[in-house]
Amino acid sequence: MATRLTKMFGEVKAVDGLSFSVEPGSVTGFLGPNGAGKTTTLRMILGLATPTSGTGTISGVTYAHLPAPGRTVGAVLEATSFHPGRSARNHLRVFCAAAGLPDKRADEVLEWVGLTQAARYAVRGFSLGMRQRLGLATALLGNPRVLLLDEPANGLDPEGIAWLRGLLRHFAEVDGRTVLISSHVLSEVEQTVDRVVIIARGRLIYEGGLSDLEGASAGVVVRTPTPDALITAVGPLNAHVTPRPDGTLAIVGATPSDVGRAAWQAHVELHELRAGSSSLEETFLRLTAEPNAQPGPSP
Amino acid sequence: MIHLLRAEWRKVITVKLGWGMLLGAMALAALGVVAQIASNGVRGNIALPLSAAATQRSIAASAGSAYLFSVVVGIILVTTEFRHFTSRPTFLIEPRRGLVIVAKLIVAALVGVIYGVACAALTAAIMAPWFAAMGVTIGWVENGVLLSMLGDIVVIAIFAVVGIGVGVLVRNQIAAVIAALVYLFVLEPLIDIIPVIQNVYQYLPGAAAAAITGASRGDLAHLDPVQGGLVLLGWGLLFAVCGWVLTIRRDVP
Repeated sequence: MATRLTKMFGEVKAVDGLSFSVEPGSVTGFLGPNGAGKTTTLRMILGLATPTSGTGTISGVTYAHLPAPGRTVGAVLEATSFHPGRSARNHLRVFCAAAGLPDKRADEVLEWVGLTQAARYAVRGFSLGMRQRLGLATALLGNPRVLLLDEPANGLDPEGIAWLRGLLRHFAEVDGRTVLISSHVLSEVEQTVDRVVIIARGRLIYEGGLSDLEGASAGVVVRTPTPDALITAVGPLNAHVTPRPDGTLAIVGATPSDVGRAAWQAHVELHELRAGSSSLEETFLRLTAEPNAQPGPSP
Repeated sequence: MIHLLRAEWRKVITVKLGWGMLLGAMALAALGVVAQIASNGVRGNIALPLSAAATQRSIAASAGSAYLFSVVVGIILVTTEFRHFTSRPTFLIEPRRGLVIVAKLIVAALVGVIYGVACAALTAAIMAPWFAAMGVTIGWVENGVLLSMLGDIVVIAIFAVVGIGVGVLVRNQIAAVIAALVYLFVLEPLIDIIPVIQNVYQYLPGAAAAAITGASRGDLAHLDPVQGGLVLLGWGLLFAVCGWVLTIRRDVP
């Protein structure tokens, strides 16, 4: 889908040689911290922004070359693309006309997203959750095979998130559609997605199944009265050591037996040694953390 | 294309702004007409009597001043898309941005014609009974009154097209509206009084508009109505083409 995409804003590389692909019949999470380049990447794939280099394609062609883009791809980029004085139904009818769809399609999608009661009201009075639903309704107008949603869970209440999860799972599993949803919080989409594409600072960090990510996250947790000595002792293992708030050390990239042997050889006293069960969220944070970032408040 | 025209037309009629601006345009047109008729013959007013052909034409032409509203409507039809980000679904459904702009130009011209017809009709509705009450005959055809009113419609319609061009070029709504009004109210009248460039003046949008309605001042060089129409349309298309080239290059906000 994306091939060596790069976008410069002046001197700043917002997206830096990013390549990844998204499979039909699955929900892919597009994850990264704020400012990682997620929205910019989606905008390039959708032809709204021109890449500095590289290409974004859908079903093998660029967005502008899709024969009927409105009926192939549905996209929501933040829930703000409405004229405040236009009613929800009229908003949808404008785009029904543009896509050559019958007007009754507007009422169908309003019902899908649960906005039938609000159809006649101006968007001005809509909550963020209602705007998310209307944005999704706009994306669904053309019954698209590909859905690209930027932070769709923002502003939804827990009930709304559960509803969205069911809808997206249905699209992927039952209809075999391609769904890509971006988020800066892994836990928000953890139960919805099959695969993840994780980016940070415009670069690809991880692409693959959610379960593989879980495997990669398992580390070692140790407790010792002399942490500095232990850090020196495990140095040759080339593992990633981070102090945890409870006083233990998390070591990623080594097995418990590696760490135990290194500690024994260096005569470092251990009070606890176990396989870590770091959560996906921790892995995500670690993967996307700024290099050389220090814990604690920034100056 | 027909799909895009329908979509653009719906965008106009589903928000209040278009209707509000229509009322504004009609109010401005009526104000000019009433002021000219009421002040005629008042001491100090150098205008010829109401029976004079030039006066009748001038009154009919004053409705053309409603172009101030149509140019603003044209600007807003474009810039509101960027302001409220409806540009995103618009260009997602039709990635050929040039087609979207052409649809907007056509719909703006149609909106302008409606504004123009409403203003001209209102002018006639004020003039006819008032002149009759004062016992003055209107030379609708022989004094060129109808032709001036036709000119009003053309001017108001073309200025809506100019507005689209300006809006595509300057996407910030407030900046575009202020730029257009400052130009029409301040800059162009200034150019008019600087002797060296005075003969350029006739080719500027405001002067071309005056040439179309017959409201041009006799002491300055001015175009004939058809030339004026072509010049004004040229300005609108020039802005639109510049804006179109930029729209294709620029990222959609």
